[in-house]
Amino acid sequence: MPGIEYLIAALSSFNIMLALLGVIAGTVIGSLPGLTATMAVAVLVPITFSMEAGSALILMGAIYTGAIYGGAYAAILLNTPGTPSAIATTFDGFPMAKKGHGDLAVSLACLASVTGGLVGATFLLLLSPPLAEVALAFGPVEYFWLAVFGLTLISALSEGNLLKGLIGACFGLLLACVGIAEISADVRFTFGSQVLLGGIETVSALIGLYCIPVLIDLVATPDKHLKVTHEPRGFRFLEALAISWKLKLSLIRSSVIGTLVGILPGAGGSIAGLVAYSEARRTSKNSENFGKGEPEGIMATESANNATVGGGFIPTLVLGIPGTPPDAVILGALMIQGVKTGPSLFTEGGSIVYTFIYGLFLATILMLPVGLVIGRYAYKTIITVPKAMLVPTVAFMTMIGTYAIRNSISDIIIMILLGVVGWFLNRFGFSPSPIVLGLILGRIAEQGFVQAWTIGAATDELMKMFFGRPISLAIIAFILLSLFYPVIRSRWSKLNWRGANDK
Amino acid sequence: MTSSQKPIRTGDTGGTVICCIFIILAAVSLWDTTHMLDSDSYVFPRAIAIALIVFSISLIVWNLAHPDIAQQQRPQNESTVRRMLLIIIMLLSCFSMPWLGFLISGVITFALLMVVAMYHEWDARKRIIYPLIAIAIVVGFYTLFSRVLQVPLPTGLLFE
Repeated sequence: MPGIEYLIAALSSFNIMLALLGVIAGTVIGSLPGLTATMAVAVLVPITFSMEAGSALILMGAIYTGAIYGGAYAAILLNTPGTPSAIATTFDGFPMAKKGHGDLAVSLACLASVTGGLVGATFLLLLSPPLAEVALAFGPVEYFWLAVFGLTLISALSEGNLLKGLIGACFGLLLACVGIAEISADVRFTFGSQVLLGGIETVSALIGLYCIPVLIDLVATPDKHLKVTHEPRGFRFLEALAISWKLKLSLIRSSVIGTLVGILPGAGGSIAGLVAYSEARRTSKNSENFGKGEPEGIMATESANNATVGGGFIPTLVLGIPGTPPDAVILGALMIQGVKTGPSLFTEGGSIVYTFIYGLFLATILMLPVGLVIGRYAYKTIITVPKAMLVPTVAFMTMIGTYAIRNSISDIIIMILLGVVGWFLNRFGFSPSPIVLGLILGRIAEQGFVQAWTIGAATDELMKMFFGRPISLAIIAFILLSLFYPVIRSRWSKLNWRGANDK
Repeated sequence: MTSSQKPIRTGDTGGTVICCIFIILAAVSLWDTTHMLDSDSYVFPRAIAIALIVFSISLIVWNLAHPDIAQQQRPQNESTVRRMLLIIIMLLSCFSMPWLGFLISGVITFALLMVVAMYHEWDARKRIIYPLIAIAIVVGFYTLFSRVLQVPLPTGLLFE
């Protein structure tokens, strides 16, 4: 193991305290809808300027880890992803909470986040330099196919009507086009409104599409928000542990997916969660339960999004290219500290890098007790608070959280209106998830598509550009597998059934 | 599933109407792309708008071919008035924010939403405790965002 002396340095009482405080602060900030991991790290970065570089990194890594996990609370208990990374957590987390298993869902999310975080940190510790090459191998066309891969989840999220899912996704993709085009800078779909020039803010749209419909339905009836069972059940930790052990392969696979997606600059936790969810659903024996409260769905997403923390640090530290937006903030803080990133950092700056990586392990392990305690408190609060307090509190949180993203009142109005549209659409069977998927993946897909198209057209190798690169072909294979695997599997089982009957 | 939420066979008229709205939206989007000069700007949205029209027409045709498709029936005891009040209050809060500031508009919004979401009787205890908790929550969040997170929340033109 590289540098055992750095492990001892990371375990100083000061660093343990920093890691604990960072995880608590990050978890609380991440749990508030609208406050992202990037914001959590950015806001708390100035505290680190007076610290030693290793300790500063430990604090920032702990805040980042905690914030990514914190997003799961609102996703599970309010159907609102606290951070974009937790979008796919809502798919099964909220249905589980509605059935009265919110406490179990929170514990599962915590265990999965810790596992994902540890896998990501292990990759960062042992395989950073070779894995950093993966980031360089990904061109625009690979990003395009990755976004298309994410879009294949529509078939899983369409709740029985694929056409409605596809229509929702197209609506989301059109919403993603609003504002100034990233490549050509043309103004699109603003219809003269200056408010729309900046485009539709993704997190505000997420809050609107997921949280406002919940509020609209919450206020309409005197019924409880979540099903409540009266017997005390504690953390349900052993139950969560047993499920995690049963799903260990899925957990590890999702963590590895999260790490690899985290390495890709700009991809981030939301795509990692969606891709891991898609893969978990494809390979699961209970694939038909996905979207209805399947624990494996929560575990896949949460392990993947927390694995992006370690994964994202690989290109950040080895190449100086931030893997995720919070990594960019941390990279800036490192520069202020006078740390030069690059391949030589692991040899010349070992004391900082390895102390930080061991600190990341420490923060991730501390997330287990912290996450369970805060999660339990959040769950108990949500189920015991009277509706007359819950509705205004959640409404107020959505408004202040949306405002804080771009300091814009217009964003709050757009968020509310999108919520109303989402509620109407949901009423007629158009689920909000495909819309969100289109909105998030639209920008990545368009940018990748247009860049690849331009390069392909300029080099007169358009087909080769899209279908002639090995990584692209591998992703296309996964896309086809993801789309047609349910059909192949059902045909296969029918054939087996016929074969068994013939005997 | 409660008895009031059992599927009934009514057809998907709502879905068809929404598809028509989406077709109009896609047509308007297509028209808007004609003003764009660079092909980089219009290729992607144009493709999406056409796909939206194709999928919407397909769903309309499907709905016409299957007029007795099962639909989920909604519970009967839902309050539309409270729903509308929730949205109106939240929107009014946004419009009043530049004038009253985040804090005052937040307290008023919170209080009004509390009244809208209340299904039990306002006894003496609730009349005292709930407003106090409301003020504590709004002031707590205001302090967290404006002081700790340094978010420049509107102070209000009337108080400048």
